[in-house]
Amino acid sequence: MSALSTNAGGPKGLPALISGQILKLIGLAILDAFGLLLFYAFWFSGNTALALIIAVITIGMNVVIFVPRLYPLRWMSPGLALMILLVIYPLLFTVSTAFTNYSDGHLFSKEQAIALHSKATFTPEDAPTYRFTPYVNKADPTDYALWLTREGDAGTEVIFAKEGEPLVVLEGVEPEPPEEYEGYRPLERRELVAALSVLETAQFGEEPNTVTVVSAARGVAARSLQRYVWNAELNGLEDRQTGLFYAADDETGSFIANKGRAEQQELQPGYWVGVGFNNFRRFVESPALRGPLVQVFVWTVAFAFFSVMTTFVAGLIMALVLNSPDIPGRKVIRSLLIIPYAIPGVISILVWKGMMNPNLGVLARSFGINPPWFSDPLWAKIGILLINLWLGYPYMMLICSGALQAIPTDIYEASSVDGANPWQRFWNITLPLLLVTVGPLLIASFTYNFNNFVVVEAFNKGGPPIPGTLTPAGYTDILISYTYRLAFGSGRGADYGLASAITIIIFAIVAGVTLLQFRFTGQWEEVSENV
Amino acid sequence: MKKHLMLLTVVILILGSLAPALAQEATSLVIWADDTRAPILAEVGKAFTEEYGVEVVVQEMGFGDIRDGLKVAGPAGEGPDIIIGAHDWLGELVVNGLLAPIDLGDKAAEFFTPAVDAFTYDGVLYGMPYAMENLAFIYNPELVATPPTTWTEVKELSAEIQASGAAKYGYIIRTNDPYHWMPMFSAFGGYVFGRNEVGAYDPTDIGLDSEGALAAGAYLQSLVEEGLLVPDIDYDIEHTMFETGEAAMIVTGPWALPRIKASGVPYAVTMIPGEVQPASPFLGVQGFMISAFSQNQMLAEIFLLDYVANADVMQQIFDADPRPSAYLAVREAITDPDIAGFVAAGANGAAMPAIPEMASVWTAWGNAMELIIRQTESAEAALTNAAAQVRELLATDLSAMVNIPGSWQAAVGCASDWDPACKVTALTDNGDGTFSGTFNIPAGSYEFKAALGGSWGENYGVDGVRDGGNYSLVLEADSVVTFTYDSATHLVTVTIGE
Repeated sequence: MSALSTNAGGPKGLPALISGQILKLIGLAILDAFGLLLFYAFWFSGNTALALIIAVITIGMNVVIFVPRLYPLRWMSPGLALMILLVIYPLLFTVSTAFTNYSDGHLFSKEQAIALHSKATFTPEDAPTYRFTPYVNKADPTDYALWLTREGDAGTEVIFAKEGEPLVVLEGVEPEPPEEYEGYRPLERRELVAALSVLETAQFGEEPNTVTVVSAARGVAARSLQRYVWNAELNGLEDRQTGLFYAADDETGSFIANKGRAEQQELQPGYWVGVGFNNFRRFVESPALRGPLVQVFVWTVAFAFFSVMTTFVAGLIMALVLNSPDIPGRKVIRSLLIIPYAIPGVISILVWKGMMNPNLGVLARSFGINPPWFSDPLWAKIGILLINLWLGYPYMMLICSGALQAIPTDIYEASSVDGANPWQRFWNITLPLLLVTVGPLLIASFTYNFNNFVVVEAFNKGGPPIPGTLTPAGYTDILISYTYRLAFGSGRGADYGLASAITIIIFAIVAGVTLLQFRFTGQWEEVSENV
Repeated sequence: MKKHLMLLTVVILILGSLAPALAQEATSLVIWADDTRAPILAEVGKAFTEEYGVEVVVQEMGFGDIRDGLKVAGPAGEGPDIIIGAHDWLGELVVNGLLAPIDLGDKAAEFFTPAVDAFTYDGVLYGMPYAMENLAFIYNPELVATPPTTWTEVKELSAEIQASGAAKYGYIIRTNDPYHWMPMFSAFGGYVFGRNEVGAYDPTDIGLDSEGALAAGAYLQSLVEEGLLVPDIDYDIEHTMFETGEAAMIVTGPWALPRIKASGVPYAVTMIPGEVQPASPFLGVQGFMISAFSQNQMLAEIFLLDYVANADVMQQIFDADPRPSAYLAVREAITDPDIAGFVAAGANGAAMPAIPEMASVWTAWGNAMELIIRQTESAEAALTNAAAQVRELLATDLSAMVNIPGSWQAAVGCASDWDPACKVTALTDNGDGTFSGTFNIPAGSYEFKAALGGSWGENYGVDGVRDGGNYSLVLEADSVVTFTYDSATHLVTVTIGE
């Protein structure tokens, strides 16, 4: 494995060196092959950015392995690669999306959108529509023709249409397609299917009077023209059916005809464009902000704070109790107490939701505990905190147990020599030393609960609803659930640009709150230095 | 030695990189279907392959994943040729340009017309329907002798059942589930979106606070007030109560039938009661759609029209998942009384709006329902506010707005002065290139400008100059003021008095 570092002294001899080198190259070849595969998949699906990231990572790995000086980086490179791919790239992607109008109706690049619209065809109103039977030249299997029939004013009109030859109405011919005509024979259905790709694009007749296969399944052919034609000079799509001109508006990424007038029309889909700070401005101007945002924000902070507080206190008490060697069977009890942590959260939440139901719930029916969990704002908040306590205390218990083991026992011995009682020992030794280790985890837990979408959504979807608000919101809605519903569940479909902008705003809030808290942990560290 | 090895590696890498470009793709038809439909389509695909030599690949996916999958894979050119899906995806998929139109031709007559209509978006057909689903009225015949035909009767019956002690409740409904409220809502004349002259849903006509909607709300409120209905009922609670005989009547869909059958409770499926008009539950229609990014659209059409649109395959689809077929020959041959009940209940149904604006309705509407059932607000207040919320959410597109931001705005009800997006002071389009609005403004001296698109991006001041100076307006007394903006000259004219 480490052939490169050992080959200078060469103590292992040539065979070992070669086999090590070959093994390394085989491993690298597999890695590169995998990278190439991903690169191709992303590049050809138009995901250029991701393809480039993969290329950079793959080349980086090669460099790290081939340049001896970078040897120490080798063991870190898989981690770094994964971090670039799974953390940094999505982060950059979110930030860049926040400055675009990427949303339903604007999922394509301008080129893709133009290509898509260019595929549309139409049949002019005065152009006739025919039933067709496909024919093939007996001598030349790539030469096709159509036997066209149409009900005209003077009986059935029959045309035998060949590519590049004018369409002539045949006189005195039975409309029934014959077994053979001018050296052509009818195509069997199977042959038709095989020839579809050719027939789809073939023009029968002579310009400007041509006929194209419109539907092979229904046997319909008609004159068919490209409907939207891109005009690069005027920067827009001409609609040849209606005569409208859809100007490309590069500020909004839309094709709009008759802009600013009552008969304004939009051709969808549009395309995505950069919109600068528009999404942030839209959020500031949006009903979300004029709605109950302050109320939602206050509850978000309270929810995160109380969730951390209650779970920490409960977890700490249990850890302290189970830390005492006097408790019989404490290993079994500890294992049992971890169960809520092991069960998927959504299931626990739904079970609690069922137990709390006033109509059939076990709390109401068997224990007579029936506060208005789902209809009273305060009780709904208590309910959701209770559930979060159930879900969260085992984690706190685990980390507190670990941290308690780490507190040196000689400090306790010294304190008992000084005559401290258990209460004093807890407040002056255990808690400060515990917070040094657990503090950062409490902040992490706070940040996690700040965005704890699952609990809110699964318990009561943010309910009960707040009456009379400008935008739909509930008393237990937190920022993320409230804005999620506004960004994805409203307006005109999913708006990824706006959602990314909101994500960045929420990130800024969480980052601010977290920084503030790190100040407090700084104080705890000072405590530990003094002890 | 090392040099040679490196050279070899580089050569291999270059050769390897060429390989994908050299590979050629054979024509095949890719279908995305859910687990119920996939095996049937795979069988049909075999026959198709035998006949035409074209491989049919059926990929099984979760029903809901198909839509999101198409949104990602379609533009990348890797998606399916045919998908299975629901008609209410149309808005999202068509807006994103992901679907190719389908023309059923003469075959259209073989399908149930409302189902075909449901797959029509902006006058274009985008799908071939196979099944539909809608809610029906399900009652316990031991508790209800003859099914009620109006909601007034439902209430009387509920009161009787409760008084006699035969069951705890008569009719129950979920607390926050507007989809299940819709039949009652529509029976009283309520609606979500009105329809325009060609019958398409009109997102500017929101009916949550229409007269009929308020009547439906008042009826719901009276059920709670009279103790006939309680809050905190969801899907599970509702069904458990019905299945244990605690409730006598519910409105539910065909998906719940297996559960009700398994419980052993006596039940019957019938029409949903009407009131001022027959109940009109939402129809959900499932069908086949063709991807706009398919390279084989005509082939896909041949597969659907020749191989799927026939009584044999449609019967198989029905047998695998019995819900009312959209194919007439199968639909008319339904003998199962339960399914026939659902067919009857759907006769007056209307396709659930497929327009993307529908997404804005659910939460506001459901919250109104919950507020009524919890007696937090009166039906009228709750529904009026829900309609206002939906209007607010849908009015985020201000690009057509012409406004007169200035120091007078707060005086007429805007949140602040100088707000180019305030709806109160937006001018209305006169259709001749001018926009105007009339307001009651208290005495005082004011300044203003004209702003377009709800922002300061494009604004005009004195003499129609872009980013020009403010107009000033002095009112000696409280006045009626009309602002008129001319989009050709960008001038604002002010008329004081009626």
